[in-house]
Amino acid sequence: MAHICLVRSTIPHGYVRAIHAEKALALPGVLGVFHCFNTSPRKFNRYRSRFSQELPEEERAFTDYVRFVGDRIGAVAAVSRDAAEKAARLIEVEYEELPYSVGFDDTLAGKNCLNGQSPVVGEFSAEHGTPPDADCVDVESLTQFPPIHHATMEPHVCVADYDPYQDQLTIYSPNQAVHGIRTTIADYLEMPYHRVRVVKATMGGSFGAKQEWFTEPVAALVAKQLGRPVKLVYTRAEAMTCSVVRGAVRASVRGKYLPDGALASLDVELVLDAGAYVGNANDYIASMYGKLFRCYRVPHVRYHARVISSNTPVSGAFRGWSAPEEALFMERNLDAAAAKLALDPVKLRLRNVLLPGDTDQKSGLPMEDIRIRDALLRGRELFAWDELLRADKAFNAASPRYRRGVGVGCGGHGNTYYPRHNDFGEARAMLNEDGTVQLAVTVHDHGCGTVTAMRMIAAEALDMPDRDIRLDEGDTAFTPIDFGCFASRTTFVLGKTVYNAACALRCTILDRASELFGLPREALYAEGAAVRSRLDPDAAIPYREVARAVMLRLRRNVTAEAGFANETNPGVTGAHFAHVEVDTWTGFTRVLDYLAVHDIGQAINPGMCAAQIQGAVQMGCGAALREELVVGKDGRCTSSLSKYHLFLAPDLPNIRVELLMDGRSAEGPYGAKSIGEVSFVPAAPAVCGAVNNALGSELGVLPFTPDRILNYLTEEGSH
Amino acid sequence: MKLSFFVNDRPVELETEPDRRLLDLLREELNLTGVKEGCGEGECGACTVLMDGEPVHACLTLAIQLGGRHITTIEGLSASGELDILQRAFVEELAIQCGFCTTGMILSAKALLMKHPDPDEAMIREALSGNICRCSGYVQIVNAVKRAARELREVGR
Repeated sequence: MAHICLVRSTIPHGYVRAIHAEKALALPGVLGVFHCFNTSPRKFNRYRSRFSQELPEEERAFTDYVRFVGDRIGAVAAVSRDAAEKAARLIEVEYEELPYSVGFDDTLAGKNCLNGQSPVVGEFSAEHGTPPDADCVDVESLTQFPPIHHATMEPHVCVADYDPYQDQLTIYSPNQAVHGIRTTIADYLEMPYHRVRVVKATMGGSFGAKQEWFTEPVAALVAKQLGRPVKLVYTRAEAMTCSVVRGAVRASVRGKYLPDGALASLDVELVLDAGAYVGNANDYIASMYGKLFRCYRVPHVRYHARVISSNTPVSGAFRGWSAPEEALFMERNLDAAAAKLALDPVKLRLRNVLLPGDTDQKSGLPMEDIRIRDALLRGRELFAWDELLRADKAFNAASPRYRRGVGVGCGGHGNTYYPRHNDFGEARAMLNEDGTVQLAVTVHDHGCGTVTAMRMIAAEALDMPDRDIRLDEGDTAFTPIDFGCFASRTTFVLGKTVYNAACALRCTILDRASELFGLPREALYAEGAAVRSRLDPDAAIPYREVARAVMLRLRRNVTAEAGFANETNPGVTGAHFAHVEVDTWTGFTRVLDYLAVHDIGQAINPGMCAAQIQGAVQMGCGAALREELVVGKDGRCTSSLSKYHLFLAPDLPNIRVELLMDGRSAEGPYGAKSIGEVSFVPAAPAVCGAVNNALGSELGVLPFTPDRILNYLTEEGSH
Repeated sequence: MKLSFFVNDRPVELETEPDRRLLDLLREELNLTGVKEGCGEGECGACTVLMDGEPVHACLTLAIQLGGRHITTIEGLSASGELDILQRAFVEELAIQCGFCTTGMILSAKALLMKHPDPDEAMIREALSGNICRCSGYVQIVNAVKRAARELREVGR
C-alpha cells in the first residue's frame, strides 16, 4: 500500500508558476510526485451524485489556480505515511499571488473578486402567494448561521486500488453514495462505469461531510498512474479546512404579522458564502426556499438569495441541508414578532404551524398527519414552559449577575428527494438453505444504525430474528444502483424498499411451500421463521426446509426483488425547548435543560432515534453558542480542535427526548418518517431564542460566544 | 531503541524509534486497531488507552516513555473473548453510534471506575470530558457508565 500526502496552497488566491519536486523525489521511499503540471487538466464536480445533474465541472485533482489556503496543488506517494509527509514538506512552490477576500462585506463590495470575476456566482428568486392587504405589524430581523465543522471523529479517508491488467479501479471509502462516486470518478477518468467499483467502508460519522467527493477522485488518479493501491488519510486540520464546511448564511427578513400573531408575509433577502468553489451552493439556496413551507403556513413570501464565492474553505453538504439556516431566520423573526406583539412565543407558533391535512405550498404534496402542533403542546407541558417563564422572571429580578431564559424552536424537513427529483429504491432478497436471509440494497450507515434499522424492518416483515438477516452496505459491484443516503431518504425510501423486498420474499416462500407441500396457498402465513397454515395449527415448515426443498426439487433458489418509487413526502417536524443561563460578567452561557419533541411517525429503533436527536442537540448548542470556523485576514481558517470548541459531556444537561408516534406516514415503512436531519433543524434556533429571552435582546448572529455577549451587554449598557 | 513494555498484560519487545507514537506502535506493529486517531493533538480522546491504569492519549505518548509500562487497549478488556461489563453496558444502553469515539470513551470510563466504583453523574461527565462524541448528546454514554458501575458493585459484593 502506498500512502499519499497532499501538497496544498499556502496562499488564499493566485497562480502556481512552478513546482520544484527534485528534493522530494530524491527521498528514499518516494514513489512519485503528482501535481498540476504533470496530471490531467480534466475537472469534476465534488457534489455530483447522479448522472443527470447539470453542474459545472470546476475542480481539478491538482490545480494551478489556487482559490483558498489548502487548495490541492499536488501529492506525494510513498511507501509510508512518514515518508510521504517528509517529502511533501520538501516540495517548493512558486506562486503569483492575487488579491483575495474572506468575509461577506469585502466579498460583496467586490473588492477582491475571484480572478476578476463577479463574486456573486449564483442567484435565486421566488415569490409565493399574494401580499396581505390588511394592516400588519412589520418585524425585521437579521440572522447569521456560522460556518461550522462537521467534526466527524473519523477524518476523511480513502483507499484506491487500480488493477492495470483488468483496467479495474476499486475505491473503498466511508461515504454516502457509492454510485455517485462511481459516476464522478468514471467520468473524470474516462472509464466505463462497470470498471469502477466503489465500496462503502465503515464510517466514523458523516453529517454530510462524506457526501461530496474530494478524496476519492484524487486517490483514484494517483492509484491509476502508479498502478498500485494507495491510501489517503486526512489530518484533522485537513478535515477542518480542506474538506467541506457549512457555509455562512446571512439573512435579513421582514415579516408582516396580523395583530393576533398570524404571519401574513415574509420578505427574505439572504446571502450564502460558498467559499472557494460553488459546489452545491446554487441548489442549496433553491432548496432553502422550499424549506419555508415544511412547518408553517406562509400566505405570502418573497425570497431572494445570492451565492458569493470567496477565498475561504469550500461550503457543502451539512446535516439539514439548508433547513437549519431557514429555521434560524424564521424562528428569530417569530421571536421578534412575539416580543413586538407581546405574545407568548409558543402561542405565536401555535397560531402559525401547519395542521394535519395541510399541503406543502411549494410542492403541492399533502403534509399528511403532520403533528407539529401536538409537539408544541406536549413540549410546553413537559418542559413546564409557563412555570419556567415565571421562575426565571423571579430569578432574574433577584440575581445581579446571571440571567435565565427559555426558548422554543420549530422546524421541518423532508423524507426523500421527491418531488424536487424523482426518487426510488430497489432491493433483492435471498433465502439461504439454513433459513437465514441475505438482502442486497444500497445503504450507507453513517454510524446511526441504518443497517440495524433495515434488518429490523425485514425481520418484522418476515417474522424472523433480525440476527438471522444479513444486509451489507453499498457496493457498486453487487448492490442495485441508488442515489445515496442523504436527503433524509434512507429510512423512508430505502426502508420501504427493504420492507417490500422482505414481503416479496415472504410471498415467494409461501408460494413455494404451497406448491411443494400441497397446502392451500390462501391459508398460509409466516410466523416464527416458519410457514404455517390456518387450517392446521400444528403444522409448521421452517424457512430452512422450504429453501432446501426448493433447491432439491424445483432446482432453483428462493429469491425476490422489489422496488419502491414514492409519491409522497409527508410533513416531518420537531419542536425544541431550551433553558439557559447567561453569566453577564463573563458572557458565558450554560444550557440548563433541554427537551426535543419529534413528530416521527413510527420510530424503527426508538433508542437510536433518541440518541441521534440528542447528538443533533449537542451540535445545535454548538452552532448557537460556540462553534465557528474563523477565517483570518490572512485567509487562514481555524484548523485545530483546540481552537474549535464542541459541547462536551460536562457542558450538557440530560437532554430529554419525546417521540410522537401517532402521526404516521402513508408510505414509509410501518408509518416511519425521517429523523436524522430534522432533529438538527430546531436546535440552534431554540438556544438562540433562550439567550434572547434571558437578555431581552434581539441577537441573531451566531454563535453567541462570550465575546459577542459581552459586546452586546457593553453596548446596551452605554445606551 | 529497544523497547520492552506490556500490552494487555503480555510482554512486548520491539525495535523502534524513540519518538514513535504509541498510537502507531499499537496500530501498525501490534495490529491493535481499536485505538483510533481523530486529531493527533490530544484534543478528541479517540486514541485514549490506559498506561498503568491512567488514561493517556496514545497520539501524545512516545515510545521513549513506555519502558516497563503496562498499556491497556480496548482489546485487553475482552481478552477472554467475552465483552467486559463496561463494554456490555455500552451496547445495552445504545451508547454507541458510529463507534469511532467508543473505545477511548470506554477506557476513560474504565479508569474512572477503577478509582471510584460509585461515581455520581458530575464525576462521570468530568471523567469523559476529554473524549469527544459528535454523534450523541452523551446521555446514553453517561447511562452506560452508571449501569456498569452498578453492575460492577453488584459483582464485587
